[in-house]
Amino acid sequence: MGVIEETFAGHEVARASLDNCVKCTICETVCPVAKANPLFTGPKYNGPQAERFRDGASVDHSLQWCDFCGICTLNCPQGVKIAELNEQAATRMKEQNGFPLRDRIIPETNLEGMFLSPVAPVANWALGLRPLRVVIEKVIKIHRDAPMPTAHTETLAKWLKHRTKTDIKPTKGPVVFFQGCAGGYFETETSKKSIEVLEHLGYEVFVPKQSCCGLAKQSNGLFKGATKDILNLCDNLLKFGNELPVVSSSGSCIGMVKHEAHEVIGVDDPRLANVSVRSRDFCEFLMEEYRAGRLDASEFKEIDLTVPYHQPCQVKSQGMGFPAVQLMELIPGVKVIESNEPCCGIAGTYGLKAERYDTAQKIGKGVFEHMQNYNEGVGVCDTETCRWQIAKSSGVKIVHPVWLLHHALGLSDNLLK
Amino acid sequence: MRTMDADVVVIGGGATGAGVVRDVAMRGFSAVLLDKADLGQGTTGRYHGLLHSGGRYVVSDPESATECAEENEIVTRIHADAVEKTGGLFVVTPDDPMEFSDQWTEGATKSKVPWTEISTAEALRREPRLNPGIKRAFAVHDGTVDGWQMVWGAAHSAEDHGAKVLTYTAVTEIIREGDQVTAVIAHDLKNDEQVTITTRFVINTAGPWAGRIADLVGCHDVEVVPGRGIMIAMNHRLVNTVVNRCIYPADGDILVPVHTVSIIGTTDVKADDPQRLAIPRNEVQQMFDSGEALIPGFREARAVHAWAGARPLFKDKRVAATDTRHMSRGMSILDHGTRDGVQGIVSIIGGKLTTYRLMAKNVVDVMCDQLGESRPCTTADEAVPGSADGHTYVITHRLRENEKARATHLEVKPKATDVAVAAKAGRTPSHAAIDDQIICECELMSRKMLTDLLAEQPDATLDDLRRQLRLGMGPCQGGFCSMRATGVALEDGGIDIERATGLLRLFLKNRWIGLWPILYGEQVRQTALDDWIFQGTFDVEHLPVPESEVEL
Amino acid sequence: MTATAIPTTPTWAGATPHVVVIGAGIAGLIASLRLRAAGARVTQITKGLGGIQLGQGSIDILGYTPDRVSAPLEAVAAFAAAHPAHPYSRIGVDAVRTGVEYLQQVAGPDLLVGDAEHNVNLPTAVGAIRPTALVPPTMVAGELHDGLKLVIIGIAQLKDFHPMLVAQNLSRTTLPDGGHVTARAVMTDFEPRPNEFDATGLTFARALDDPKTRRTFAEGIKALVNEGETVGLPAVLGGEDHKAAFAEICQIIGAPVFEIPSLPPCVPGMRLNEALVKAVKDARVEFILGTKVTGFTAADGHLVSVTASTAGHKREIAADAFLLAAGGFESGALKLDSHGHPLDTVLGLPVKLPDGVDEEHLVTDKYWGVAQPLFKVGVDVDESMKVVDGGSPVYDNVYAAGGVIAGATRWQEKSGEGIALGSAVKAADAILASLPVVAATGLAASSPLAASAERN
Repeated sequence: MGVIEETFAGHEVARASLDNCVKCTICETVCPVAKANPLFTGPKYNGPQAERFRDGASVDHSLQWCDFCGICTLNCPQGVKIAELNEQAATRMKEQNGFPLRDRIIPETNLEGMFLSPVAPVANWALGLRPLRVVIEKVIKIHRDAPMPTAHTETLAKWLKHRTKTDIKPTKGPVVFFQGCAGGYFETETSKKSIEVLEHLGYEVFVPKQSCCGLAKQSNGLFKGATKDILNLCDNLLKFGNELPVVSSSGSCIGMVKHEAHEVIGVDDPRLANVSVRSRDFCEFLMEEYRAGRLDASEFKEIDLTVPYHQPCQVKSQGMGFPAVQLMELIPGVKVIESNEPCCGIAGTYGLKAERYDTAQKIGKGVFEHMQNYNEGVGVCDTETCRWQIAKSSGVKIVHPVWLLHHALGLSDNLLK
Repeated sequence: MRTMDADVVVIGGGATGAGVVRDVAMRGFSAVLLDKADLGQGTTGRYHGLLHSGGRYVVSDPESATECAEENEIVTRIHADAVEKTGGLFVVTPDDPMEFSDQWTEGATKSKVPWTEISTAEALRREPRLNPGIKRAFAVHDGTVDGWQMVWGAAHSAEDHGAKVLTYTAVTEIIREGDQVTAVIAHDLKNDEQVTITTRFVINTAGPWAGRIADLVGCHDVEVVPGRGIMIAMNHRLVNTVVNRCIYPADGDILVPVHTVSIIGTTDVKADDPQRLAIPRNEVQQMFDSGEALIPGFREARAVHAWAGARPLFKDKRVAATDTRHMSRGMSILDHGTRDGVQGIVSIIGGKLTTYRLMAKNVVDVMCDQLGESRPCTTADEAVPGSADGHTYVITHRLRENEKARATHLEVKPKATDVAVAAKAGRTPSHAAIDDQIICECELMSRKMLTDLLAEQPDATLDDLRRQLRLGMGPCQGGFCSMRATGVALEDGGIDIERATGLLRLFLKNRWIGLWPILYGEQVRQTALDDWIFQGTFDVEHLPVPESEVEL
Repeated sequence: MTATAIPTTPTWAGATPHVVVIGAGIAGLIASLRLRAAGARVTQITKGLGGIQLGQGSIDILGYTPDRVSAPLEAVAAFAAAHPAHPYSRIGVDAVRTGVEYLQQVAGPDLLVGDAEHNVNLPTAVGAIRPTALVPPTMVAGELHDGLKLVIIGIAQLKDFHPMLVAQNLSRTTLPDGGHVTARAVMTDFEPRPNEFDATGLTFARALDDPKTRRTFAEGIKALVNEGETVGLPAVLGGEDHKAAFAEICQIIGAPVFEIPSLPPCVPGMRLNEALVKAVKDARVEFILGTKVTGFTAADGHLVSVTASTAGHKREIAADAFLLAAGGFESGALKLDSHGHPLDTVLGLPVKLPDGVDEEHLVTDKYWGVAQPLFKVGVDVDESMKVVDGGSPVYDNVYAAGGVIAGATRWQEKSGEGIALGSAVKAADAILASLPVVAATGLAASSPLAASAERN
């Protein structure tokens, strides 16, 4: 049998992995939720321990506090899929007890982007209004102080259509760029910079018409919808053949493609398998290129800057080490201080929810302080929702690592714009 | 030296003995049950936990099949808290002949064992780990039963009806006046005291030891052959339904989900001594191979513990074969009056856990005949204590209870001070919450479960507690809980440090008996960590060595 | 901490020699630091957190031979000579000394005190008297001597520590050098967070990081202590802020105070582990957590690359040398399969059985009195820690360190950290010597500050 991830999918991987647990409790020592809130019994308890007491049904409501950040799985020295077990059990509990309306609304990220973008100034103004946020909190239980994205009238798709095409001739093989919903509607700057950097470095960049990866549905337990979404996305990405690297500056969405879809939801489909093995986080991709001698860092101009950096939990779970730190430190003058913190508390959409807001803020406290203590005007983090959360709670401007690279390549005069 | 008096003395505290003492007590006799060890420590506790639907015997022993089907329903009712209605499947694996399945359906119908055929797809939907190559599947009413809980349920019921239950009390002598049994003399092992019980009647329910008890009263040649079978508990429920291979009963043809584990069984080899049952390497390998036939990847799953039980098989002189499977598994009642000329004693040997109540009824009927009494059996009419509400056990039970307890304690409004409560002098027993600490994490056994049972049985060993509470029966096999349990016993159990340390030593030694024969794969990691904890961190080998090891 | 002085200038690729270290226990972490300090590029791959916090939080070198050892370094030489199959016979005393000193230098006196020449005898959580060499400053006052008066204080909300068990066993035991201690037990209350009644030690340690909470706690403990008593508490006296927490608790109680480690997770071990992992990350070792080595490629007796797998991804990592420091059976680096064959699950290296023991007898039916032969199984190494089979290297660039090396009963002997440190240093130095480019920089590998000189 050997590698269980290759033998099974979804719950069967997780359930088989519980046999690895030796009760050492390392998972509970690294769990950011148990640290913040005693109502969460802890990953060992709700994970491999409780799983032995389930025959499908979940009765341990303390599970609702888990933010599925995956730090337990990441640190488990024995290979137990702890977070996966928890997420699957929480999903079964929701299936038994019903999904709250909010948990069905939030994950519609693509729709939200489509509706908000055309009316961006109004939407941004409205989401900034306290009375409206109080109403939203009352009605659908999204906390009034939770971070909200900023919508842009120019979506990535629009920009791609209207921009002046780069005159740099591609010198390197083509790549497929996967922007994610946030990268398409809210964090368009990051997507643009990513595309420009890749093109500047000589890559031909294809940006297929794409759809939601289903991550938010997955983390809200809507496995059916998420499965549909991820396979739909795979179909879109497969339109550019089945060999090109798929590169994304949306650290969490690419994690869905690589990991969650198969191991959490149990999607066992050759299309996913094909896309998954080709998927690369933006920094991961460039560091691989660098190691293979295909990226010349001598072109990076000096930026004299110390940046605090937080690697999001969903990026950590991809087991890549710290490619963002490495990539940024290829820029002369850049010194990166890693947060050494597990999670910022947002964990996708966890930190938006009214009843979890306080816990989420406690979880992220160390990250916020890290950004406040070490920033020289900017902090760095790889995923969108984490950036929104950290920026909102720390007051520090937070950008994707590509912003530094874009600047170092002389593509932008101002690092922060 | 204590003396007692009882209408009936029952010797042997397995399922049969507990059933018999309950039956006689419910018929209004005064009764005492004796066992040389704990209740259910012999065959009753060393089986796979199956509550038969009867399906297993529809071809080989249709009468037994019918009895099982009937008793299954009764036991589920009267021992609801010990029974889980898991349902069962009979599946034809790719290695099995199809012909037998037709004989099976015919036999099942004839012997009135309820069954339905389901599609193999449906079987795989219900049990995703099943061999995808199965050719046919039948659903039956198999269930699982916790043998210890059942025996203690029967014993408590008997006590409610006036019976006395004496564990760790070994029979040393049975006194006769002429050809009439008049008294039983036993040794209370924990208190080192002789107990004499004058009585009208003795029922010998000593299972594999029944021949030795019969010897004591001069009834010789009661040859009980221990048929040894090994069982292996796998770390989690690989299946949630009892899975049987649809073949003529053979070795390793059943996988039973009991509590948090699934148990594969069993072998059948003649043993010499029921007290010393080996778990041979080749039989362990045989179980793994059988497991693979049912569940592909079985060898990669984790085994946590193994044990061997002795089926008490009465050797009928008419069958010469030494293969124990061909001996009578139905019960044999020996009337020592007609057989040996000794009045006031009968022996009952053999049978199955599922039909324990029926066996008890039958033997007590014989006794009543001999005593000339006419008192009807009522054991099927009344549930044992704890089962009156009829709710059968569900696997989520302890998880749900613990969730409730935690929520009760944690969700009370935080105290006015936001700082944690200060350390205060002395233990503050007002903390009900402390009682709900989970001492054995694998099996979710709370501190209160431990202290309550210790209060009831102050001289219990950790193994005695284990059998009723599942202490140390999960993946870590005592690695984390045995020190905690020892500490709690010392703090709240009124024992001294020498006994506490001795109990810890004994518990670790006893866990090892069922651990070393199956030590491979993930359980090696656990054992390594446990060794690290006990030898490495605790340096337990360098505690003062007792003059003599605690054994009881 | 000195190790943070290692510069952060990256050497992620290029001509720099590259070493892959597998595992992140004490052996892997120390080897990584030492390799990195000498200028090598290091990738550390680990399935999860290493084992430091699973043990007792102190540094063992040699505790029993099986006689109780009081001068561990001195005993190592004789022990190695008497046990040629033991890892110490290949590691040697000097490497153990160097390894321990290196660790002390990295960890600093806030985390470890004492020396490798002397063992101290400390009480365990069951009240046994355990020898160990270097200890966290929080355990120093626990050294047992004749006439010591102890009060062992437990916390009702912490189920992993039972003061009566500790105190009563200590009281009835004759000390190794003769004499006795007297010990009494007290159980007290302390909710680390409001209403919390069943938490791990770390929750208490974190609560005591808060100055207000720890003052209240220490005042409460003070009231339980009699004149002249030394105070034994569970090892939870501070987490991230342990230095200040412990100092203030001691000062308020006004009596000698010490920590007693219990079941994993061990807070003192956690403090050390966090410091070492941070040092490794700060030194820009590429630290890849949550990732398993699932395969490798080799050619002509040379290991070319390993396959690192996580999140559905496989990544080939090529390197000049590889160090297997993934632990023994406790981590799953070694495995006994269901047929009873022992194997190395990481690189498929041949494993060595104890002399005179065959596969069928790796486990015995005796729990007490003998160590299971199984736990002596491991890979065989030569004096450079290169993995060998029957005396010849399996690959010319694969080394081993720590618990994966055959021949020790680490937990019985109390030799785990000594073996890990000695073998890590020896392997790292042998690797560095084998890599010409690093050797050419002329840096002393022994100092974690060396790399700093290179950068500045």
